[in-house]
Amino acid sequence: MLKVRNLNVSYGGIHAIRGIDIDVERGEIVTIIGSNGAGKSSLLNAVSGMVRYQGEMEYEGQQLPSQPHNIVKAGICQVPEGRLIFANLTVLENLKMGAYLRNDAKEIERDLERVYSLFPRLAERKKQIAGTLSGGEQQMLAMGRGLMSSPELILLDEPSLGLAPMLITTIFEIISEIKAMGKTILLVEQNAFKALAVADRAYVLEQGIITASGPASELLRDSRIREAYLGRK
Amino acid sequence: MSIFIQQIINGLSIGSIYALMAVGYSLVYSILNFSNFAHGGVIMLGAYFGLYAVTLVGGLPFLGALAVAALLAGLVAVALEKIAYRPLRKRNAPSLYFIISAMGASIFLENLVIVTIGPTFRTYPQMFSAAPIALGNVTISRIDVLMFAIAAISLAVLMFIIEKTKVGLAIRACSFNTKASNLMGVNVNRVIFIIFLLGGMLAGVAGMLFGMRYTVYPQIGVITNKSFIAAVFGGLGSLPGAVVGSLLLGIIETFGAGYIASTYRDLIAFSLLIIILVIRPSGLMGRVTEDKA
Repeated sequence: MLKVRNLNVSYGGIHAIRGIDIDVERGEIVTIIGSNGAGKSSLLNAVSGMVRYQGEMEYEGQQLPSQPHNIVKAGICQVPEGRLIFANLTVLENLKMGAYLRNDAKEIERDLERVYSLFPRLAERKKQIAGTLSGGEQQMLAMGRGLMSSPELILLDEPSLGLAPMLITTIFEIISEIKAMGKTILLVEQNAFKALAVADRAYVLEQGIITASGPASELLRDSRIREAYLGRK
Repeated sequence: MSIFIQQIINGLSIGSIYALMAVGYSLVYSILNFSNFAHGGVIMLGAYFGLYAVTLVGGLPFLGALAVAALLAGLVAVALEKIAYRPLRKRNAPSLYFIISAMGASIFLENLVIVTIGPTFRTYPQMFSAAPIALGNVTISRIDVLMFAIAAISLAVLMFIIEKTKVGLAIRACSFNTKASNLMGVNVNRVIFIIFLLGGMLAGVAGMLFGMRYTVYPQIGVITNKSFIAAVFGGLGSLPGAVVGSLLLGIIETFGAGYIASTYRDLIAFSLLIIILVIRPSGLMGRVTEDKA
């Protein structure tokens, strides 16, 4: 579905991503794990067209568009790190912003109901100003907003960041549910254990280079990865 | 008592013109985070566009001329954005560069008019009866009523666009976070085009009304200093703030001029600016960030 070849991203003098290859197949959850500053967010921002890059990216056999809004139109949506919800808008308005490029009112209404059933808290608070939501609710809103664009591929950037352990479990359950809805997910996470548990395949990104990749269950057993990212032997 | 009411009406009338100008500042500030000091130039051109629409083109009727002034001023604002600001945006230049570019554009427009049209004062032909409307002891000039009514309608249309339409939703989303809006599929360049078009059209309306009320000359854009004060007073970036700040400034000014002396008018306005900046820099309704993440 998504094919990334020899991707390079640099900011000023920093070479954040150094020639990586990544594949995402339809219907799977692929996770990119790695420490802070490894280049995980840069990868997602390159796919979303938010940063300049060198290299090739193909989506569904076609060259990926370059403008962010055309990438959303093509069916790729990013749920960004730090959620970046519109704190000045209501919950419902935030969700409507997710459907910004769509004109199919009936389908939008149906997707809205789906998002509400996935996140009942959002339904209860749809008239509330989004800035007053708790951190966990804001993460749910960011994910719901992303789903409202009716994407085929969802890029999730650190969905568990800053959340309480119970909420983290909930968020990962929802990620599985989103997969069950037929969506493809590229998940970037620092919480390697949870990410590997939910994913089909994984890549380990270290200082802009992929140092390991394979089925998530295998990486979960890999002693080197257990030591570096899971904090256990 | 009748003088008091009279002053309120005068204040609202001039305040509503400030409001038309101030929302242009606030729209641009809310998304691009800089004060567009070229706005005064657009207002000045609006006054000239209206004047020529009335006098040259076979003498358009008032509303036709107003539409021409709004449209042409809107196009000038859009062109300014393309020439003076977009190249800076592409390079992620700091706000200061935008302000300098805006000041340059403002000086350019003023001098362009001086060279091409000339520095003389011009007046609109009389389009409405000068006879005031009398309500008991209170007499109101027709042009004041007209200014207020047109400003109110224009602002209501703007508020409708911002609050009730999809484009308006995108404008509000961009005002909070352009990156997130971009990720939702919003073409930020198009939203910026729209805010300059809207702000420019309102500037055209304001320019023509102001020119009709007073006179038309190349430095007429200086009046936007007042509307800028009003926008800061209300809270830069907030549209309701810009409107409330403008009406209050209009009333405070007219009261100062009426009860103290008219020479105090500007002194009062600028003192107000300094007091606000010291006591409440975010203004009456300034943006309060509620980002928890």
